[in-house]
Amino acid sequence: MSIARRRAIVPWLWVAPWLLGFVLFMLIPSMMSLYYSFTDYSLLEPPVGIGLANFAELWRDPLFWKVIRNTLAYASVSVLVGTVLALLVAVLLESHVKGRGAGGVARAIIFLPTLVPLVAAALAWAFMYNPEAGLFNRVLGVMGLPRINWLGDARWAMPSLIIMGFWNIGTAMVVYSAALRDVPRSLYEAADLDGVSRLGRLWHVSIPAISPAILFNVMISIIWSLQVFGAPQIMTEGGPDHSTYVYQLYIYESAFRYGRMGYASAMAWIQLLATLGIAGLTLALSRRLVYYRGAV
Amino acid sequence: MTPAPRTSRRTPLPDRVLLTALLWITAAAYLTPLLFMLASSFKTADSVLDPSAGVLPRFSDAAQAIDNYRDVWTDSATDFPTYLRNSLLVAMLSTIGMTVSSAAAAYAFARMRFRGRTALFVLVLATLMIPPTVIIAPQYLLFKQLGWIGTFRPLWVPAWCGGAFSIFLLRQFFLTIPRELDEAAAIDGCSSVGVFWRIILPVARPALVVVALLQFIGSWNDFVGPLVFINQPHMYTVSLGVYMFQSQQGQTPWNLTMAASVIAVVPVLIVFLLAQKAIIDGVATQGLKE
Amino acid sequence: MTLAIVQSGVSRRAALGVMGVGALAWSAWPRRSRELAGVPRGRKVLHYWEKWTGAEGLALQGVIDAFNQSQEKLWVIRVPISDISSKAMVAVGGGDGPDVCGLFSYSVPLYAEAGAAMPLDSFPQEDWCGEAGYLPNVWKLLTHEGRPWAGVNTCYTLGLYVNRTHMREAGLGGTDADVPPRTIGELDAAAEKLTRTDSSGAIARAGFLPNLPLWWPYSWGVLFDGRLYDRATNTAMADDPGNIRAMEWIATFPKRFGREAAGAFAQTFSRSTHSPQDPFISGRASMIVQGPWLANFIRLHNPSLDYAVAPVPLADGLAEPSLPRGLVEADVIIIPSGCKDPEASWEFVRFMQRRTTQEQLALAHCKSSPMAEVSAEFAGAHPSRYVGVFDAIARSPRSDSLPPTRVWPQYADMLGGAFDTVWRGGDPASALRDVQVRAQRLIDQATELRGRRRAGNGKGDA
Repeated sequence: MSIARRRAIVPWLWVAPWLLGFVLFMLIPSMMSLYYSFTDYSLLEPPVGIGLANFAELWRDPLFWKVIRNTLAYASVSVLVGTVLALLVAVLLESHVKGRGAGGVARAIIFLPTLVPLVAAALAWAFMYNPEAGLFNRVLGVMGLPRINWLGDARWAMPSLIIMGFWNIGTAMVVYSAALRDVPRSLYEAADLDGVSRLGRLWHVSIPAISPAILFNVMISIIWSLQVFGAPQIMTEGGPDHSTYVYQLYIYESAFRYGRMGYASAMAWIQLLATLGIAGLTLALSRRLVYYRGAV
Repeated sequence: MTPAPRTSRRTPLPDRVLLTALLWITAAAYLTPLLFMLASSFKTADSVLDPSAGVLPRFSDAAQAIDNYRDVWTDSATDFPTYLRNSLLVAMLSTIGMTVSSAAAAYAFARMRFRGRTALFVLVLATLMIPPTVIIAPQYLLFKQLGWIGTFRPLWVPAWCGGAFSIFLLRQFFLTIPRELDEAAAIDGCSSVGVFWRIILPVARPALVVVALLQFIGSWNDFVGPLVFINQPHMYTVSLGVYMFQSQQGQTPWNLTMAASVIAVVPVLIVFLLAQKAIIDGVATQGLKE
Repeated sequence: MTLAIVQSGVSRRAALGVMGVGALAWSAWPRRSRELAGVPRGRKVLHYWEKWTGAEGLALQGVIDAFNQSQEKLWVIRVPISDISSKAMVAVGGGDGPDVCGLFSYSVPLYAEAGAAMPLDSFPQEDWCGEAGYLPNVWKLLTHEGRPWAGVNTCYTLGLYVNRTHMREAGLGGTDADVPPRTIGELDAAAEKLTRTDSSGAIARAGFLPNLPLWWPYSWGVLFDGRLYDRATNTAMADDPGNIRAMEWIATFPKRFGREAAGAFAQTFSRSTHSPQDPFISGRASMIVQGPWLANFIRLHNPSLDYAVAPVPLADGLAEPSLPRGLVEADVIIIPSGCKDPEASWEFVRFMQRRTTQEQLALAHCKSSPMAEVSAEFAGAHPSRYVGVFDAIARSPRSDSLPPTRVWPQYADMLGGAFDTVWRGGDPASALRDVQVRAQRLIDQATELRGRRRAGNGKGDA
């Protein structure tokens, strides 16, 4: 083998594990699930081709539309409020004067929840939402307010899950605060010269300057919140009255409870395409809102 | 990188007090669920459900605390020592694999020129957009074909193929290592393996540690993977064990469930306390975008 | 920023320390998982998955211990599994199933059609009672299209539990307070009288609420002579007039007691069923429709509760004391296809099908026996005074068992959805018509695919 040939091959050897993993654990399963989406497949017996019947049935399935509505509601509120919250906390952290030590501790505390095992977090919150002895209703009781049946009331269950999601803004917060620290000082000085107020500085300087980081995080949050599964599975099992029945939960139950892997595969593919579509749309819409340094 | 400019230099004192207070209130709020979990795990079955009993455990319940943890540990329907061992095994295996193979790929992306490199790197980043849950049902189909259902393999083998975020993080780090270092080594007759092993890896040890820790925690916390791929109770991981523990009881024994949750949290907490700053800085690299 | 990692990097000592502790913990850990610890040498181990935990699980363990002591070849390990239907499907489908698996009877059609369970008539038949040994309503649940696919593991039906103290206080049931409502009309009147609301409009004590517990939202039609399924023609009957009348009756509850109030009341107990806080056990609900096992939990948590059990009331004009009517369901055990030693599994299943075994289990679970003949000891020793109520329903030719179709789990969930719709104020007839259309579509699709699978198999064999 010539040296040039070998040189061309060597880099591919280094990336081979990843490439193999990509093909084996992502591409092949996706293709298999695409194939199975055109079949009826109970896991217990061989699949039978049924053409587009799964998709036709989904179209007519009221539960399918219900889980889409629930998932979109969850995703939109949690991404929107979660992003604002993470930004506020990041700004708070970065505007904190007192030594890095104290700020570092606060940052660590706020970040810690993202590392707590989902099961433990979900159970802790389920108990915090307990109608009798939970922390929330204790606080409401002390304040003289009526108690709320958080996870048991169809109107409150979804908001409860969304609120719990705000416990996990740590990653976004850390990213934003790092980005804030990287904003060139000259930008602030220019703003000061123009006599911009502190709030104005945040709005006109800081936020535009870190908008690429915000965009990236919003994209990731959208994608992840469309896949929410663990918390509703553990805390409400989709209830009450299907009010927290989300898309991924329906996929899971179709595949592993009803034995309809074909149906579940069809749903997974619709979700994959929709997610990519939503992400692309976000990217396109944000073009004009995001400021890339040096690209004035 | 120059030290970050602090925008707060001219913040007036009253505002500073206000901001500080606000920061600590936020931090306290974020700590509350964990403290509530801990406090509840020390209570008796009755007092944990008694709204008039107060949030904090009574001092007289001290013996109860030990009893709760012992009950969870020795519960006959579950087997937490075995679950911990399983979690440890899976987390260790996937941590080693993830670190090694991500470093290899990152090395190629940082140091080698080859056709399609940019496209391939974009592909790596694109997989960041595919969360594990969406791929889990399809993966079940593959693992079923491979005969892996009921083994630990679905939980750790994929990690041996690297991960997008780890590759990204390591590549960014490798790019900061001066090229002169590996060029000098190459002149001394080092192959690409030699450069990787003798130059890059030792210098990059901090970044490797971050990747390893994040993978360890991620693997330890994984819920959906074990839920779908593990069937036999003697193969449960801690997360799955805690989940099964609470759902097996017709009524949830909250004090014991919280004790089990604490058991699941503690290893993660130890890792975080040991390397808190490294982990946070590693996560922060997500914001770096070219 | 990446450079920041360098400055903050974990020290080598900390890393080594963590690894050292990890290795130490690893080597010191118990090697053998707890479940294998007690297995005697030379026994072949069988894993048996079952849903029961707590006292019910211990009762089953007693039976298993008896089996393990009865011979010297096999050793059965009980593995408690929650959410057993889906876990079993995933495991059996993935070739990782147990040796014997407990399921609910609704899974039998799917496992039978998929060949995922082994038919019991393919094993040596001696020492097994077969059809003659079981109640006809139970046998129907164990078979699919004429072949037995599962053994029984207790059966149940629903009854009306009545708090006699509350009845007496409300002046109901005559002087001895022992005559529970027999018709829907009487039930409604009693519910009205027994319900207490507090000043804020919340329900302090429920007379009777059909959403408490919301486990059998499909079971009400049978009280109005409704049917769920026609076996002869494989047709769903969700919008059968009886079912519609049942839903119309359900719709009266949110109207009578307030949708919000009744919903909130039921939700309070969503995680406390069978605990000391259970609505009936704690005296917060005066009447409740529940299975025979509730007597067991009353015995455990509130033995002084003065209660009676009666057949669930039927619509006016349908009641016939000698021929009660209800829906029979069973817990079953199957031998998964692909288990390592079917003969050994059969050995255990056959033991479980002995009348004495089932009676022992039914006694401990407070259920009636699923077997045709009942021993005198069983009747004498039964801890529940009212087991006869359940037994009569299970034996009654007017009782029905679950629809024998593989799509029943989805059909049942659709009926649950219709219940929610009606509870929210939706029209009963149209909600059930929706269910009918969708369920029938699933049934037809399943039937058609079944035909195609068979045709495919036929070709494969030839």
